[in-house]
Amino acid sequence: MSNQSEARDLEVREKQISESEGTRPGPVFQPEVDILERAEGYLVYADLPGVDEKSVSVKLESGTLILDAELATTPDPAWRPLLEEYRFGSYHREFRISEGIDTARVSASLRDGVLELELPKAESRRARTVAVQAG
Amino acid sequence: MAQYSVFRPWATAGSRSGTLDELRREMEGLFNQFGVARPGRARWGGVFPAVNLYEDGSQYVLTTELPGVNADEIEVSIEGSTLTLSGQKRIDYSNLEGASIHRRERQSGSFRRAFELPSVIDADKVEARTRNGVLMLRLPKSPEYQPRQIAVKAS
Repeated sequence: MSNQSEARDLEVREKQISESEGTRPGPVFQPEVDILERAEGYLVYADLPGVDEKSVSVKLESGTLILDAELATTPDPAWRPLLEEYRFGSYHREFRISEGIDTARVSASLRDGVLELELPKAESRRARTVAVQAG
Repeated sequence: MAQYSVFRPWATAGSRSGTLDELRREMEGLFNQFGVARPGRARWGGVFPAVNLYEDGSQYVLTTELPGVNADEIEVSIEGSTLTLSGQKRIDYSNLEGASIHRRERQSGSFRRAFELPSVIDADKVEARTRNGVLMLRLPKSPEYQPRQIAVKAS
């Protein structure tokens, strides 16, 4: 796999509002994600700025991966806003996963506001190479 | 080094955009004054990263979301009232051998942005901290720009 070039400039993107109705007040955003697949499982990386380990939840329900997160800290209401270029709120996103996941072995970690999820494929679903023997 | 312009949301003199900005700010001031929520869309500098700026008494507080950017990769410099933020967001999956990418939405690359703050900053006392992928800067106003109580003496 080629290493992505770091030379290009980052662009401002408007945050996408999540389409599902939330029960919480305030906006709910769709985090940007990268999804990779390896023989042993999937890797999901989600940008969740402002979220800590306690405020994130990952669920796997009948083939759907559900990601929910709240901000760990919000600006002090006593601060007077002078410029507000970005909005903040909670996060929500769902993915259908076609293959069986070994739910007991799912692991998650957070670093610098990025969630890393490892979803190992269930043993029975892994592609296996079968050695062909001469008769 | 790439060309970049200084974002001056407080500019008033001359330029048309400055005048428009000023008008918009006055409008927002009016909305705030009457306790009405500000109209939906935020004012936008259009350059990465988007920032929020607050006033907290004798200091400004600037926040910006930089998920996946290590503190070592962020540079903050201050000159007078001009603040410059620059850095790199790296995404590298090359160590994941044999992986195929199904979805790629997160972006990597470099950024550089300069702002003019509403007043001169005491650069020695600036505090910068990242937490959960959010950079927060505490920018104390320079003492000579801080509001002062003047004692009135009877003659």
